[in-house]
Amino acid sequence: MGYIYCMLKKILKYSFLILILTGVALAIYGWHLSVQVEKRFSARRWSIPSTVYSDTTLLYPGQRMNSSLFSAKLSNLGYRRVNSVPSQKGEIRIHTQALDIFLNDLKTPWTERAGFLAQIDFSEDRIGTIRRQDNGETIPILELEPEEIMQFFGQERERRQLISIEQVPEHQIQAVLAAEDHRFFEHHGVDWRGILRAMMTNLRHGAVRQGGSTLTQQLAKNYFLTPERTFIRKLKELILAVIIEFRYGKREILEIYLNEIYLGQKGSVAINGIGEASYFYFGKPVKRLTLSEAATIAGLIKAPNNYSPYRDMARCQSRRDTVLQAMRRWEWITQAELEDALKQPINAVGFIVADKKAPYFIDYLTEQLNTLYRPEVLASLGLSIYTTLDTQVQTAAEEALAKGLAHLESSNPELQRTAPEEKLQGAVVVMQPKTGHILALVGGRNYSVSQFNRITQARRQPGSAFKPLVYLSSLAQFTPTTLLSNDPKSYTVNGKQWDPQNFEPVTEYTVSLQDALKKSFNLATVDLAMKTGLDRIVEMTARFQFSTPIKPYPSLALGAFEVIPLELARAYCVFAAEGVQPFPLSLKGVVDENDKILEHQHLNVERIIPPPEAFIMNSMLQGVVKEGTARSLKWRGVTWPVAGKTGTTNDFRDAWFVGYTPDILALVWVGFDNGDPIKATGAAAALPIWADLMNAIPQYRSETEFNIPQGVEKILVCPVTGRPAVGGCPDPVDVYFLTAHVPDEQCPLHAKDGIAGKIIKGVKDLINDD
Amino acid sequence: MTIKAMQIICLTLLAVWLVGCPKPPLKGDSSEADAITVPEEATEENPRAAASLQLTEQGRRLVEERQPDRAIRVLEQAVSLHPTNGRNYYYLSEAWLMKGFADQAKEFNQLAEIHLKDDNQWMIRVAGQADRIAELEK
Repeated sequence: MGYIYCMLKKILKYSFLILILTGVALAIYGWHLSVQVEKRFSARRWSIPSTVYSDTTLLYPGQRMNSSLFSAKLSNLGYRRVNSVPSQKGEIRIHTQALDIFLNDLKTPWTERAGFLAQIDFSEDRIGTIRRQDNGETIPILELEPEEIMQFFGQERERRQLISIEQVPEHQIQAVLAAEDHRFFEHHGVDWRGILRAMMTNLRHGAVRQGGSTLTQQLAKNYFLTPERTFIRKLKELILAVIIEFRYGKREILEIYLNEIYLGQKGSVAINGIGEASYFYFGKPVKRLTLSEAATIAGLIKAPNNYSPYRDMARCQSRRDTVLQAMRRWEWITQAELEDALKQPINAVGFIVADKKAPYFIDYLTEQLNTLYRPEVLASLGLSIYTTLDTQVQTAAEEALAKGLAHLESSNPELQRTAPEEKLQGAVVVMQPKTGHILALVGGRNYSVSQFNRITQARRQPGSAFKPLVYLSSLAQFTPTTLLSNDPKSYTVNGKQWDPQNFEPVTEYTVSLQDALKKSFNLATVDLAMKTGLDRIVEMTARFQFSTPIKPYPSLALGAFEVIPLELARAYCVFAAEGVQPFPLSLKGVVDENDKILEHQHLNVERIIPPPEAFIMNSMLQGVVKEGTARSLKWRGVTWPVAGKTGTTNDFRDAWFVGYTPDILALVWVGFDNGDPIKATGAAAALPIWADLMNAIPQYRSETEFNIPQGVEKILVCPVTGRPAVGGCPDPVDVYFLTAHVPDEQCPLHAKDGIAGKIIKGVKDLINDD
Repeated sequence: MTIKAMQIICLTLLAVWLVGCPKPPLKGDSSEADAITVPEEATEENPRAAASLQLTEQGRRLVEERQPDRAIRVLEQAVSLHPTNGRNYYYLSEAWLMKGFADQAKEFNQLAEIHLKDDNQWMIRVAGQADRIAELEK
């Protein structure tokens, strides 16, 4: 008896000790978990990817439009077509000659406007008027919101728009509680009644049919635990749920849950939180969700992809109805509300998993962003990155390049290659010469095949596209009418003989400087370069800040030194921008989640050459388009003032065209990566792409002439002598000169041969006869 | 006086009549040149210019309200639409002056001068602006 008593006492003693130790261990573990919870909840809760936006789009009366690109723009901005008068933001109704549009809100760091209903009338290919529908007021200029281009995802690849609990309508909260945890406001993290009910249900069916997890347990599981089903994990989940409930208020827990919960999949990207889900499924903010829509989203929590309206509408509707009925059961909605909601169809807005937009542009932008922010910052801090990209121009450039390259291949089978990475390549960059904004950048034919950016990374010989820099260098000594030798000549370079040749044999052995550029004569250009001085040309080129070496060899005149295409485009901007060079801009600004501007990039210009010299170059390069190697532009519909230059390198390895107006500049390059000949000139291969592109973006066409600065004079000159014309000169032409270089001596040839000359000659003859 | 002498006199008189007032070099028609150099006004033919003027006005107001960053953003849009309107460059220069960046202010002042050269009133303002930039540079 005594032994038994002693044993019992021992057992009790050890049990008590074990209990105390277990209690202490649990308390320590609980404290440890509590610290974890505190750390996790007080730190940044989610990684929000940074978003890259295009530039805003301006609309104004009289603006030319490309209707198909404009429609695509509206679609990309999320505007949905309806058949009645638009009643909600993001809806459009299309008439034959008009568009009713309920504008989305516009919010950028620099401007803010609430959405409103507007009507845009069209007249042929132009905008007629833009009018507010509420008060009939006409709008002189309308700015459309920027378009989302891409997001910098981290490893999670999650999309999430954070919302505060105040933004969530009561029926949305009730729908979630009805679907997942209707006793949420009554329990303390663990709902024992719910667990017992689930156990009974599961036992009755002999399978797991119901879960007993509360919202807090789900949150604990998602936030802190791995998904495996073990007893230990479940225990941890229960402890964590209690700790969370102990430390945080019910509405705070609910807010975290609503932002955290997984609600579906857009391609490879997860949709998390009801803020994102309300846009993904219904194209509207959560505060505007109807009862039926709220119940649909709440119904998704159980199995988002199974009940997705994009997967199975009938299953989705059935699940929504279940949620609605549960809401009625707990008397959170009236019978009438239930019946009304059950009748509503589920109108999901649809989505497109688009290909990467403007991928080469994004790569170029990312290089710049990486100098400002680490990749993990971009993937987590939810920055808004505003760019200069115009998606309409980008699409036009991509389409023009694809069409142009396909046409070249079909017209010359020798250019066809089987291997995708060996195919004929091309690249396009479109800039605004005065601002340096890069509107579009296509660095290659197919980004998925090759990510090598031929605009920013390639180094190619520019050929004749380099000649304008040679002619510019000569303007201090020569005029557009200076005569040059177009005769074959040998030069010695590094002890070797170099015999430049014209592209094709010509009979003009003496040509004016402007004609030599117009017709891209190689021999005359080399003659000019030698007369100007190669060092002088190198010095001039240095001002344009090419990053590739350019050395004083005679072949420099013919563009033998490699350049980066973007730098060549930037150099041409100087001509269009009255001698100033803009810094090429792709990034406009960066804003954090709280709308604080972190980065602000402005138009930044630097004077490179005086305005009169820039204008003389514009004038001569307009000659190239009017009568020279680029004259085929006018047959391709380009009839407005354009300056430009073609370029073709040795053995037809590269074909170039750089063309510009005061408003826009585009550079097109075509070639093979391995230097195989493309058997076509710049005029045949690159110019048609440029023309297609420009015809597709009429909104950038003002058709204005280049501004004539002070220090330039227009003189009527004799086309033969290049001197100011006299009465006897045949077909005199207008030529612009720098004021300091206006030739003062009249045409000596026709001054003699004119009537007066003949009279004087006659008088002399008469005298001589005496 | 022989017939030959008469011929000589007649021919000389004719020659004097024809070449006595030497024809000046045929310079371009100045009115035509002016038509090109005058910055285009906002007309129905140039809707970009008309739209740009709205932004120019907005930019001017922002400069007056001493909000240079917002003004620069709006004026850059105005330049994009109508790069030959010198007023945009004038106000851009003002905004940069306000921010204390003399180099940028100077570049835009020069661009304003190029585009406003035919408007005496504006040229007085541009010259005044250039003086203020020079002051800032000191």
